[in-house]
Amino acid sequence: MKENWNLLGHNWAVDMLRQHVSNGTQRHAYLFTGSRAVGRRSLALAFARALTCVQPPAPGAFCGSCRECRQIAKMQHPDLSIIQAEKEGGMLKVEQIRELRKSVLLAPYQAKYKIILLLRFQEANPSSANALLKTLEEAPSKVILLLTADNAEQLLPTIVSRCEVLRLRPVPTPKLETYLREKGADENKAEFLAHLSSGRPGYALSLLQDETELELRRETIEEFKMLLSASRVKKFDYAQKLSKDKEEFRATLLLWLSLWRDVMLYSAGDKKSIVNIDQRELIDILSVQLSFSEAKRLLESAEKGIGQLKRNVNARLLAENILLDFPKN
Amino acid sequence: MTQAFYRKWRPQKWDEVLGQAHITDTLQNALVGSRVGHAYLFAGPRGTGKTTVARLLAKAVNCQAEDAAERPCDKCDYCKAVNENRFLDLIEIDAASNNGVDDVRDLRDKINFSPSQGQFKIYIIDEVHMLSTPAFNALLKTLEEPPPHAIFILATTEIHKIPATVLSRCQRHEFRRVPLDSIIQQLKIIADGENLDVDDEAAQLIARQSNGGMRDAISLLDQLSSTNERITLDLAQNVLGTATNETVIELIDGIRDENPGVGLQAIHRALDAGSDPRQLARQIVEYLRALMLVQMGNSDQIDATEDVKNRMDAHAKNFSASATLKMMRAFNAAAVDQRGGWQPSLGLELALADVLEINGGALAESAPAPVAQQPTKPKQDAARVRVASERDPGLAPAKRAAPQPQVKSEVAPHPTVSTEELVGAWTGIRARVKQSDRNLEALLNSCKSLEVKGDTLIIGMASEVLASKIEKPEQIASVQKAISGALGANLKIKTMVTTAKGKMPDDVDQNGLVAAAIQAGGEVVK
Repeated sequence: MKENWNLLGHNWAVDMLRQHVSNGTQRHAYLFTGSRAVGRRSLALAFARALTCVQPPAPGAFCGSCRECRQIAKMQHPDLSIIQAEKEGGMLKVEQIRELRKSVLLAPYQAKYKIILLLRFQEANPSSANALLKTLEEAPSKVILLLTADNAEQLLPTIVSRCEVLRLRPVPTPKLETYLREKGADENKAEFLAHLSSGRPGYALSLLQDETELELRRETIEEFKMLLSASRVKKFDYAQKLSKDKEEFRATLLLWLSLWRDVMLYSAGDKKSIVNIDQRELIDILSVQLSFSEAKRLLESAEKGIGQLKRNVNARLLAENILLDFPKN
Repeated sequence: MTQAFYRKWRPQKWDEVLGQAHITDTLQNALVGSRVGHAYLFAGPRGTGKTTVARLLAKAVNCQAEDAAERPCDKCDYCKAVNENRFLDLIEIDAASNNGVDDVRDLRDKINFSPSQGQFKIYIIDEVHMLSTPAFNALLKTLEEPPPHAIFILATTEIHKIPATVLSRCQRHEFRRVPLDSIIQQLKIIADGENLDVDDEAAQLIARQSNGGMRDAISLLDQLSSTNERITLDLAQNVLGTATNETVIELIDGIRDENPGVGLQAIHRALDAGSDPRQLARQIVEYLRALMLVQMGNSDQIDATEDVKNRMDAHAKNFSASATLKMMRAFNAAAVDQRGGWQPSLGLELALADVLEINGGALAESAPAPVAQQPTKPKQDAARVRVASERDPGLAPAKRAAPQPQVKSEVAPHPTVSTEELVGAWTGIRARVKQSDRNLEALLNSCKSLEVKGDTLIIGMASEVLASKIEKPEQIASVQKAISGALGANLKIKTMVTTAKGKMPDDVDQNGLVAAAIQAGGEVVK
């Protein structure tokens, strides 16, 4: 992994970026896309380090111990500006971009380049995205813009076409499994987490280090099982409880979504690709009870629910609606 | 730091602009006849050359070359100054960041000063759609009658956001997507200039990928070039995350056989091998589009290898044109889907499931319909029963998940009964069932069609809900008991949904007389 910029997976992207650095052919704008926690930011930061490292051990590599490397790793480098919405799910404002347009005109303080990291750029509102266009097309020399986003389709096409797009894909599960084992997970846990995170190293690692989320998941699955055989009254009670905290509701919906997806895959006969491998039994039973198209319908209702939640619908009504779609026995 | 190719290779003369001859010709003629207008509006998709042409025009009007046809010469001081971005009379404004009314007022105050170097002062207002409404309005008077030394060039990708009052004051030029051939040509020019070794196939893939945006294509070439190797199709596919053709064909096979498992496995295998889900969806759409072309008898428009073409021909016969269209819609939705990526493959999987559901009806409709062997009418129409008999119920996705192993084991190779016999004995069977379970009898009473096929009795119900009620092992067992009691035969039991409206032929008006006749049990005789 040392030769892969200390990153897991994405070898093709690292190879390409390393070539850019060692040949001095790096561009002024890159866009890294991929699911959350797949390693977009880590790759961008590693690239930034490779660009600025003063004593690279090999061409296109970084040492990790010089001042520049350490400062960038801590995101405290004076020539590294990080621009993002104030919180996840927030909005990147046009003032932030205007400020950036001023700051790119200044020469870098200590490094060779001024690196601007624009995180989660899908959260930029249309005016901020438009305000960046001209800078993104013809940035001043010595300025490198690194954008990250969930997927290129969410951004303005004019933004995407100005960047070199690197679409990061999930890390293959076996690879992630080995990595987790190196990090101290036992065999079962490594397999479980690798599947659960579906190829997102960052997420898998956070699950490994912090048990609370797994505990929460376990509880939610217990409740899910309860709901499957619950009466309508109970379901409505649960809906009321769910609708109180939107964040939690969203997390629950995501979990249901993954479970229904597994059921759908199972009933289609694809038993390898499922995510919740610790719940095989439950999924097996459900897949016998439900047909492919029923499972699909449940999956869709959960998916639609997540989208509607974002658009601020009445959460309680939504919860009730989704729960009414649950299979009756 | 080297410049990105799309900046380095920005056309500097008219003939370097590819695929926009309708605009460059017009502008060149205007230059030669010295009939250059005072306000231009360039509109068109990204990466088609708006900013480039705007700069060319700016260069040409101030060029010092003797012959007007030669302008821009790219040699005189002014041309060089423009190329180096230091020409004082070319004012390029980023409307997206200077979008307020104050910015326009500032422009209006300064426009009356005569040019400092050249003959004309050029204002290029890029991304002009982002100007606020007051800003647009403040610009109106100036745009209508600017001083004789000023030329405005507005450029935008979103023409619909420009007020009509601005549109009517400008000469409007619509940029088109650059044709595939022109993009390939340009890629080759750049490859030669940069000493890159690009395979023809790779260039074609890049060009097709860019959808008519020259900048997209050049960016991609740029990206690939940095590996310092020969740019092959393999390399391009790897960076783009393109799946092999086999994946797409396998997936379509899965849809044809109504086997979701095969389709899903094809998707997952491709994604595990590093394909990009959206890219895969786009490939599927492209393949389906080719299928549609074949179906419409336009197969010479497709560029594919012989082998793939043969496969397409076979597939084209398997689906009806409307089914292909619906499949295309479903996968296209997956390709342009904006939802975030919790599970990147989810969009594709849902599209596949959608398609399988749609095709449940469409496929049967397109398959060559044999005449029903045993047209029976227990209660309702024969047409519906026929549809039921055409499809192998074992394959229908809705029924896959309801296996009744214990039922199978009971079945002995008994002499089977015909449908007529069964329909005749149906009342008796129901009476027997009634003794053990009144609700079940009521359910059976509401069945829409009965048919015996081999050793299986297919009961058609009006809705999924009713069908699922019958499909419980104990219910099935008691029906079987009743049948064997009445007829002395062991039959397997399957249910299927035959809604009255769902199976109406497409060309029949749903509310018309014919439809009513079909519902009452009629059959269309050709």
